[in-house]
Amino acid sequence: MKQENKTSTMKMMNGNEAVARGAFEAGVKVASGFPGTPSTEVMDYTQQRYPDIYCEWSTNEKVGLEVAIGASFAGYRSFAVMKTVGLHVAADALGGAAGSQINGGLVLVVGDDVGRIAGDDYNDVRHYGNMFNIPVLEPSDSQEAKDLMIKAFEISEEYSTPVIIKITSVICKTTSTVAIDESCTYTVKCRSKYKVSFSKVIMTTMMMNARGSEHPKLTKCFNDFPAHMKRLTNDCNDFDINKLELNGKKIGVITAGTPYYYTKEVLPDASILKLGLVMPLPEKLIRELAAHVDKLYVIEDGHDLLEKNIKDLGIAVIGKELFPKFPEMMRFTPDIIEEKLVPNAPKRTIIDGIPFRLPVSCAGCSHLFISEILRKHKIKAAADVTCGLIGCFPHMESYSLQKCMGSSIALAHGYNVATDHKENFVAMIGDGGFWATGINGLMNLIFNDSQSTTIIVDNSCLAMTGGQHIASSEFGFNYKPENKLEITKVCEAIGVKDIVTVDAYEFENLENAILNAVNANTNSVVIVKKPCVTKFKLPKSDPYCIDQDLCTQCRKCINIGCLAIESKKGKDGKVEIVINEDLCVGCGLCSTACKFDAIKL
Amino acid sequence: MQDTGKNLIIAGVGGQGILLFSNLLSKYYMKLGYELKISDVIGLGQRGGGVESHFRYSTKPVLSPFIKAGDVDFLLSFEQTETLRYLHCLKEDGIVFSSTFELSTSSVNTRLEKDMPESKTELIKQSKNKTFIINPDENKSTEFDISKMMNIVMLAIYAEFRGYEHDEMLQIVRESVPEKFVQGNIKAYEKGIEIARAEIK
Repeated sequence: MKQENKTSTMKMMNGNEAVARGAFEAGVKVASGFPGTPSTEVMDYTQQRYPDIYCEWSTNEKVGLEVAIGASFAGYRSFAVMKTVGLHVAADALGGAAGSQINGGLVLVVGDDVGRIAGDDYNDVRHYGNMFNIPVLEPSDSQEAKDLMIKAFEISEEYSTPVIIKITSVICKTTSTVAIDESCTYTVKCRSKYKVSFSKVIMTTMMMNARGSEHPKLTKCFNDFPAHMKRLTNDCNDFDINKLELNGKKIGVITAGTPYYYTKEVLPDASILKLGLVMPLPEKLIRELAAHVDKLYVIEDGHDLLEKNIKDLGIAVIGKELFPKFPEMMRFTPDIIEEKLVPNAPKRTIIDGIPFRLPVSCAGCSHLFISEILRKHKIKAAADVTCGLIGCFPHMESYSLQKCMGSSIALAHGYNVATDHKENFVAMIGDGGFWATGINGLMNLIFNDSQSTTIIVDNSCLAMTGGQHIASSEFGFNYKPENKLEITKVCEAIGVKDIVTVDAYEFENLENAILNAVNANTNSVVIVKKPCVTKFKLPKSDPYCIDQDLCTQCRKCINIGCLAIESKKGKDGKVEIVINEDLCVGCGLCSTACKFDAIKL
Repeated sequence: MQDTGKNLIIAGVGGQGILLFSNLLSKYYMKLGYELKISDVIGLGQRGGGVESHFRYSTKPVLSPFIKAGDVDFLLSFEQTETLRYLHCLKEDGIVFSSTFELSTSSVNTRLEKDMPESKTELIKQSKNKTFIINPDENKSTEFDISKMMNIVMLAIYAEFRGYEHDEMLQIVRESVPEKFVQGNIKAYEKGIEIARAEIK
């Protein structure tokens, strides 16, 4: 049973919650960022639990990181949170901060969707550690998530560098005990060591020993970041977050994150080097382990980065040759380690033929109305990163192009200029994507004289990540009605010629608005309004039902992609198309799609 | 002999209250002084996706947040397609509690793949493990909506099966759910005890 420290109580926390607690204990002043699964809740917990910390959801990840950098320069500890895909947007800002003078500790909390549990990306944030030469920390459970958050600020200030904390979809969604010192009070830390902080271009010039580089006006700008990193590389052999557990001599494992615990459970006799700091590497400890064991393995989630970096030190390790990465393996599990390293391990296999669950939109989602109209009229369109991207799935086929967040407007514009505007390729974008970066695409197409049509889905929040506020929401951490941005006004100001706003549930109006916009010889925006059904818990109307005598099973209603419409075996074993009345919100979209009047109230 | 710990998988689809179920149960084990790790694997944000929660309690520190296939003591499933997805994870003497509720999968609805020809309930019953099948349609009540509160019904069934203190569990429910839902939750819990007592003899 657990040992309870007298001054602390044990609390169950998930990784996101623990990171927020770490920020509080570290005396963070400013938290910024952009929602992204799995790390969105870091901000939610920080804002809810620790009102002394200034919190904001910024317009996008790059802005969020820049806010944190500014706060750090002012001397205050600050962090930015985002998912790895979001850091791609903010990478330029990170490149600017890397290698420059740091006053208040600057930490990036980045969520890696290990195992593609929440999305369709297979990124690894540690690449940014290698690319920008900045430290990366990786916790194995909630206790470490809290502790490493504090350590990250110490490293940031001591070695004058931004620090990344890699949290994964497993860490974020796993709840375990954390020792909390209830007497801990919030103390803001302020440290103003440097009067200037420039991106490293200037420092690099200095290092080239340009003439006059000894001048105090120049030396005050100089930050010897390679020396800082060299010192950290050396010091980290003695960090207690890098633990060398010498055990049996047969198997040695270098690991980090949750795979550490899979390893310990499956290979209790193995010698393990558990890294809390995954970049830079503690070379001395690695050599010590390598000398102790017959075979040395690397067990790491994500890409083969530890493996490559260790091999670069000239140390032989077994990694992806035994554990092939994506697409063979999405993420480590204790099962995979057992299968490969434990002789005669039992093998269990899943029953054949269990159907797969494709993502489906919520019943009554405004995106379903738009997808239906585009499909009905065979309008070619690009989707964005939004709940509406489900319309790209093979059962719906409403869109033919979809890329990153905020991209659809520029994608459609590119398509239209290349095809001389003969096809009226339409862009659909959510309000979140529009404010994040999509607005740039709209400004771009206006001043480049494009005639594209853009459908902006205004559901009053960032729905896909759970309903966080955006610039046009009527709620938010720092919300004031007078500061709410209006999509219509911004479109007008940018110079969009034709702007219409329609309610999503008024099917005919929406259909006409989209057709008019597409057929007009000018640029146009259709704003489709309907609050997110899930976030705002819209009141339900009476559910619809399908008259089985009239239903011909043409399946037009099924292709709408609504969660409430199911194809099921009836009592007599015959397949019927039915509406699940617990799920139906009574929006009536399916009744407009049925040609046989079989769907009724 | 003292219970040194067990591994549970709680499965179902989005919106069935699986996270609340794990949360309530974790509070019970916390009170008993166990170490816990609970890992909630949730798919895309939208409704109707599969949800699986790996729930481990032990007198010793819990290492892996995920339970290896073959190490599961109890599978508690709120949706029968999801029950089938985890049957292979059970120990030889592992026990299944499964609702007969079924949310058809989008891939079958849209004919991207064919449904299994067999009855899913029968497949579950035929497994080599001991199974308890709960049919929500046969246990409808005017006092609470079983389609929304299967999690609480299941909590009571599990508690009864394990011989846990219902008063203790109900206290946790009272402390954890919003006030306006407390009454319905208590009714659901009582229904669960009733179902369990009829099933478990």
